[in-house]
Amino acid sequence: MSVRVLAAMSGGVDSSVAAALLRDQGYDVVGVAMRLVPEATPPAPARRGACCSHEDFEDARRVAERLDFPFYVVDLRADFAARVIANFVGEYIGGRTPNPCVMCNREIKFDRLWQRARALEADFVATGHYARVGRDAADRFHLRRAADTAKDQSYFLFSLGQKELARTLFPLGDMTKTEVRARARALGLANADKPESQEICFVPDGDYASFVERRAGSGRIRPGRLLDSDGNTLGQHRGVHHFTLGQRRGLGISGRQPLYVRQIFADSGDVVVGAREELDSAGLVATRVSLVDSAIADKGEIALEVKIRYRHPPLPATFRMISADSAEIRFRNGGPAVTPGQACVLYRGDEVLGGGFIERALER
Amino acid sequence: MSIYLDHNAGTPLRPAAQAAMLRWIADAGHGNPASVHRAGQRARRRLEQARDQVAALLDAPPRTIVFTSGGTESNNLAIFGVMRAAGAARRKVITSAIEHSSVLAPMIELKTRGCEVLTLAPDRDGRIDPAEAAAAIDHETALVTLGVANAEVGTLQELAPIARAAAVHGVVFHADAAQAIGRIPLRISELGCDLITMSAHKFGGPAGIGALYVRPGCAIAPAILGGPHEAGLRAGTPNLLGAIGFGAAAEETAREIAAESARIEGFAFTLLERLIAAIPGLRLNGPLTGRIPNTLNLTFPGVIGESMLIALDLEGVEVSMGSACAAGAVEPSHVLTAMGRSAVDARASLRISLGWSTTADEVARAAEIIPRVWQRVAAAEPEMRSEAPR
Repeated sequence: MSVRVLAAMSGGVDSSVAAALLRDQGYDVVGVAMRLVPEATPPAPARRGACCSHEDFEDARRVAERLDFPFYVVDLRADFAARVIANFVGEYIGGRTPNPCVMCNREIKFDRLWQRARALEADFVATGHYARVGRDAADRFHLRRAADTAKDQSYFLFSLGQKELARTLFPLGDMTKTEVRARARALGLANADKPESQEICFVPDGDYASFVERRAGSGRIRPGRLLDSDGNTLGQHRGVHHFTLGQRRGLGISGRQPLYVRQIFADSGDVVVGAREELDSAGLVATRVSLVDSAIADKGEIALEVKIRYRHPPLPATFRMISADSAEIRFRNGGPAVTPGQACVLYRGDEVLGGGFIERALER
Repeated sequence: MSIYLDHNAGTPLRPAAQAAMLRWIADAGHGNPASVHRAGQRARRRLEQARDQVAALLDAPPRTIVFTSGGTESNNLAIFGVMRAAGAARRKVITSAIEHSSVLAPMIELKTRGCEVLTLAPDRDGRIDPAEAAAAIDHETALVTLGVANAEVGTLQELAPIARAAAVHGVVFHADAAQAIGRIPLRISELGCDLITMSAHKFGGPAGIGALYVRPGCAIAPAILGGPHEAGLRAGTPNLLGAIGFGAAAEETAREIAAESARIEGFAFTLLERLIAAIPGLRLNGPLTGRIPNTLNLTFPGVIGESMLIALDLEGVEVSMGSACAAGAVEPSHVLTAMGRSAVDARASLRISLGWSTTADEVARAAEIIPRVWQRVAAAEPEMRSEAPR
């Protein structure tokens, strides 16, 4: 009896090749596409490129048929709404800028889907993420960046602990995107040249503010004042969920110099703007911190690198836990604006040590 | 070998139907029944032979059978055909909440055309109250359309009193018998209906062919316009190959039905008994008696049906749940929610449907596999919100 793997398939080229590689390695592959996004009412306009559309499911189904392994569409909409969308909305209402992909990995792909894997007698969940999982001589699991640094997605996976990594496979970790596309063409997969999806899958039109308003209802929307750093009122706004820390465009006010969102106070509705240099921070406080190997929590202050956004280069920093699940991270050479709600991910070289969600900046 | 327990979705082709179809392909395979030449005459003869066989299954006169592409088309023809023929004074239709989508969707369309649609609610066992239905029929009613046996839970309806009330008021009575024909013996004289929907692949014929029984004199207009085929009620060259398979399956079914129905009832009872013994809190949806014998709709405690369905498929047991959406995911059954089950319970329910090809060995294996899979799924992926067993 070969080892069964539940392969999460989006219909895109990455997860398709990942499933194909596993099949070639002799795994008993069961493909699943997750139905996550609740039907928009009224029906959303064309959703090309966003995942979870019928065409994407059909692409995934065709791959499974071609490679001859079973395939199912599974309905996790209720879980996605409760665990990912509700968090997304709540974060914006609370004046933060969420990263739903991190939440989806943590709550859906590597938790909820794992339950389904066990129900189907699978020993692993596999995805098409570009990241690597390794195991050392002491049987500890390590999460590392992908070989293709341009595609590396380890940032989105920081919350996987020992338990999750032990049952997870990332078949694409050692491959480049070019190799993956070549492999897809060699396998005759119809989606080899399919463009990548970029936007948040449940807000295909990219209008997060309207989405938050529809989901939250007007009672939770917090309009308020736009203030400068001295407390002078510059204008009014229609809700704190319209703002992201560091945002410059769409403030509806003009100053002598470019103005950026500096602080968002969700309770009062006040949004403070300021000059670019006022945004810089000395570091950050992270909450909901999780560590790949919890042993580093006990090591006091340690030196590492931190990524404060997916596309931001890692910054040298010192890290120490300040409570059971929060940490203080100080940039060694000072740092840029940090955005509450975004993930901050701890690295040492190629290795992911863990991460958390940015609660607030440390002032310079 | 996988165990196929989804006969209500579609049965395997009966060997008799397969043989008849192969014979036609080998011997002739062409000819339009509407043509004058001898190939056409041969095709026409064969089509009429199939019509005789289908009519015999219902003990109906042959010329009352109109071939269609299947149950969905028959239901559409019945509903839209009657409404088109009905006078402006009769714009009311009576149906129920547990009908097939090929009845429910036309009802939505009729409403947009200004018709009044009265949708009867079933009781907890899926029964429509015949007195309530009969009382709703009035001189403004054009059509009553109800299923004979429910596809999801197998409940049989008591239609005779409703048919009598319809006849008194000059109302057309349409019975969707797609799930009942071939499961239990049915005779036109006992049903007392004006229109009856039949589907070949529910009892061993091929998919893509069905029929509508039309009582002579019933006021109905065609829904598909074109040539004069099928007594002017269904334009388009008939699906002769399908009709041949349909006829052969009907003939074999008519011959076997008493024994087959009893055998399947025994299998279903055995399976139910063993599952109830092995799965604490398992519930049968629908009545214990007054049902088609092949259908078991079961609520499995503490699981998500979709997970069970997939796990069973991976173990080679093929069952079903609700209806598939366009993306291939499953939606909870509208029948179970209409019967008062919660959405969670509807999602925890699977339909097991046996049929002519089911064997004692398959039943024994299914009775062993299903509890084992239930235990695993309930432990790995518990659904905590299920209602307590009643």
